[in-house]
Amino acid sequence: MALDLTRRKFLQTASVAAATATVSGYFANRAAAATPFVRKPFTAPGSFADAKTVVGGVCEMCFWRCHLVGKVRDGKLVKLEGNPKSIDNGAAICARGNAGVKLLYDPDRLKYPMKNMGKRGAPEWKRISWDEALNECATRLKAVSEKYGPQAIAMFPHGASATYPMGFFEKVVGTPNISEASFFQCRGIRDTAYVATLDTPPDENVDMANAKAILLLGGHFGENVHVSHVKRYLKGLENGAKLIVVDPRFSASAAKAHIWVKIKPGTDAAFLLAIMNHMVKTGKYNKAYVTANGVGFDKFTAGIAHATPEWAAKICDVPAKQIKEVAALLAANAPNVSIHPGRHVSWYGNDFQRERALACLTGLLGAIGVKGGFVKPKGPKVGKAGGWPAVNEENAEHHALHKMAKKYPFSPPGTPTDLIREAAITGKPYPIKAFVAWGQNPIQTIPDQAMTIKMLQQMDFVMVCDIMPTDITMFADILLPETSYLERYDLVKPGTQWDLSGKQQQYVSARLPLVAMTTADHERKDPVWITNELAKRMGFEKHIPVKSQEEKTEKILAGANLSIEQLIKEDGIHIQDGVEPYGKALKVNFFSQELADAGFPGVPTYTPVPEPPKGFARLVYGRAPVHTFNRSQNNVWLHNEMPENPVWLNDESAKKMGLKDGDRVGLVNQDGIKSRTTTVVKVTPGIRKDAVYMAHGYGTMNPAMTVAVGKGIDDQGLITKAAVDPETGAHGMRSCFVKFINKDGKVLNIPA
Amino acid sequence: MIIDLDKCVGCHACSIACRAEWEVPTGKDSSDRERRRNWVKRLGPSKTPHGLASTYYPGLCNHCDKPACVEVCPADKVDVTFTDPKSGAKKTMQVAATWKDPFNGTVQIDKERCLGCGACADACPYNARYVNEEGEAPKADKCTFCVERVAQGLEPACVQTCLARARIFGDLSDPNSEVAKYVKKGAVRLESSKVKIGPNVRYYGNKRDMHLLTTTSTPKSMPQANLRRTLMAQILKSTARQAKSLGLLGLAGALAVKGLRDDEGKTE
Repeated sequence: MALDLTRRKFLQTASVAAATATVSGYFANRAAAATPFVRKPFTAPGSFADAKTVVGGVCEMCFWRCHLVGKVRDGKLVKLEGNPKSIDNGAAICARGNAGVKLLYDPDRLKYPMKNMGKRGAPEWKRISWDEALNECATRLKAVSEKYGPQAIAMFPHGASATYPMGFFEKVVGTPNISEASFFQCRGIRDTAYVATLDTPPDENVDMANAKAILLLGGHFGENVHVSHVKRYLKGLENGAKLIVVDPRFSASAAKAHIWVKIKPGTDAAFLLAIMNHMVKTGKYNKAYVTANGVGFDKFTAGIAHATPEWAAKICDVPAKQIKEVAALLAANAPNVSIHPGRHVSWYGNDFQRERALACLTGLLGAIGVKGGFVKPKGPKVGKAGGWPAVNEENAEHHALHKMAKKYPFSPPGTPTDLIREAAITGKPYPIKAFVAWGQNPIQTIPDQAMTIKMLQQMDFVMVCDIMPTDITMFADILLPETSYLERYDLVKPGTQWDLSGKQQQYVSARLPLVAMTTADHERKDPVWITNELAKRMGFEKHIPVKSQEEKTEKILAGANLSIEQLIKEDGIHIQDGVEPYGKALKVNFFSQELADAGFPGVPTYTPVPEPPKGFARLVYGRAPVHTFNRSQNNVWLHNEMPENPVWLNDESAKKMGLKDGDRVGLVNQDGIKSRTTTVVKVTPGIRKDAVYMAHGYGTMNPAMTVAVGKGIDDQGLITKAAVDPETGAHGMRSCFVKFINKDGKVLNIPA
Repeated sequence: MIIDLDKCVGCHACSIACRAEWEVPTGKDSSDRERRRNWVKRLGPSKTPHGLASTYYPGLCNHCDKPACVEVCPADKVDVTFTDPKSGAKKTMQVAATWKDPFNGTVQIDKERCLGCGACADACPYNARYVNEEGEAPKADKCTFCVERVAQGLEPACVQTCLARARIFGDLSDPNSEVAKYVKKGAVRLESSKVKIGPNVRYYGNKRDMHLLTTTSTPKSMPQANLRRTLMAQILKSTARQAKSLGLLGLAGALAVKGLRDDEGKTE
């Protein structure tokens, strides 16, 4: 049931099992070189010269998590490469993966526990001991919990390091107020919409490598890079798949497309409805599949009957002929069609219905369980460990804000961010007085920074644990430094070969440290240690599930009859025979009674979104291939590749505005909020006039990020008005409009 | 090397892998040259006669047939014997601190003898060289086609990390090689009427991408010799001579030449 999605169900269906650990004696053998390496003067020796290859790396420069090996010389990591044994990414890794070395040795990294002696937002840091830091965190979190209840603690986690502490806060401390950016500002809508339609969250499981046609809605591969995913996409294209890209911008993928649908932002659902209606009306859909697996198909066809190509053409600002062309192309190649579910999908506040439409289109084409379609490969079995007991989960459930408000029944696990923030600021229905950020930078993940800062300022206590001094760290009372993905035991990653039609294989891999965590110039700790120490000090010692990350990893591996030692013997990746991924059909809820019962449209529906006011264009954002949001901005190699995020402006508009390619500009939004910094204009015919575009994550404000500070514009700073998706409570963020400010400070209207 | 723009997705992995492999510093050198051996420049979206295009210019040293960088090197020439790894044939040539290998065709730098004057970098119409001033003395630096890795049986760093397999490295003189097949299919060099020095990195792609690449990224003229730098180089050289007469550089030079011979023997 979608209405009561548990976190466990999500984790089961997600392809990555999380797990966790400390550096052991093992490691000394693995990474230390026996004799010091002597360099030739003036000549770089190359990463292969006298370097040891250390296996067991799993990347976390982004969250695709490619297999790595480290080239280690004299105990120092000199280079990262893809693990040649990998049946996922192989020896290839992306720019960010390659640049992991520079994160590891970034001089701006957090080094010691710190106490803020100044103000939140204008910190003055004092180095303190771990003991003092943990005691203060425990005392102050406990004080909030005792005074207001455990629900008064909010936690904003992100990434593998936050999994273990998140379980602690949710299950043992007992707060429902957990806001994962990966759900509420990213893919949560997609997951719950697919669960409501196909009863499974999709991840990005479309078999593009074997597709005859691929439909991307906003997907911009190349600018957005997940190695094995892009490999699938490219193999599909190489094999002759027809690519359809729906995007207001001529993206990296649009440049490779057979059909570029230059759609008006916010209208994608109308486009999808028209395609489906056209297929139904012309009888060109997969009748056999729909008959066998469709639920509520009659209600569905009746509900979308109004959506003619001509109707959608007006709404979407694309020719009706092109809509028919796309429908015909998809139908002609059915069922071997990849209808991509997307990844970051929290766009306009009408997103759940669009995602439902994508899932229905997949069903209409019968593109499920077949080559090229929506196919979930079956990974290997691994064990479980490190889960916290549900000591106080009941309290969490009773205080879930969206359930109390009877809102957002299709919310992903956790609590919609907006509700947490509102409750914190208003004190209703209950106060939220402590804030924990772990690996997430809510300043740049959540719309309306002023409101986020207001929330932070009213807290009794703010604790942040991170690797880098991101903007949120400026608001911490206590700041804790953690180890990076290259220095710790962590998750176990199971999976299959990247090309589903290839030899059927499964792998089990685990994140093992590639270099010893040196302690000479810092006191970083891993998240299991930090959480356990916190738990002890808060009186929860008896509930601690594992003593170390290493123990957790061993236990999970034991479930696959493996051990860390064995995994290293097998070059970091255990490979075994897999199972055929094709052949499984899924029931398709074309009409969803569950949605109808909850008061939402049971048939996918298009809801118009506000138009840009006169003189403004919609701010659309996306990915840069060299960055993962704000996380990688301070990486000196990555920064060097793309130091700023140019703002894309239509060439005809630019001419009327007197702007040339490369001119410096600022932006101002519909609420009069100005960008803190400036960037350059990219003048191009490759974007609609009613939208401007920039890569997300730039414009860091924390001066402690010495490379990134003030570089480019922070798109998030301009997103003051979020469009909240009614079914899920997730934030739509392509909901704001901007004008330009030229170098003389003059505000320039953007012509329609 | 061939770069297949139909496959390239512009991810910049090549550029960063090269930086890691060869410890290439970021930013610019003191003559405002980008410090890089390997780069990716995004082109477009722009209008072309064949439609809207957006592609990439992944660049590196072209290891040209007639390299402009080699002839301007002011370093003293020394005898170096090169060996053909296939036939075992030997050839002795007088070379300055940078040369074109007569057998494998790559253009290389002897860092020991390089004066760091930057004349070669100024002479390159592709801006493929820079001067690395991070060490004890400034030294010219550029892509070596990873001959050092290739000698170990490895792929060039940029080729290995390319998730798209858009970089194809091989022997153009072998008609059955993948690179030769690309040449037959129409892979082109970035050459113009005034810049015809036989670059050996070729690009392949659809009409609109190739139009965008060639119109934006082909050098239109050979760089003018930089008089100041040439003079500086001459001064540097005389200083170097003095050092050599003292037996300082002389020893290092001899060792380097011997080392090169040994290395060449191992190269495929």
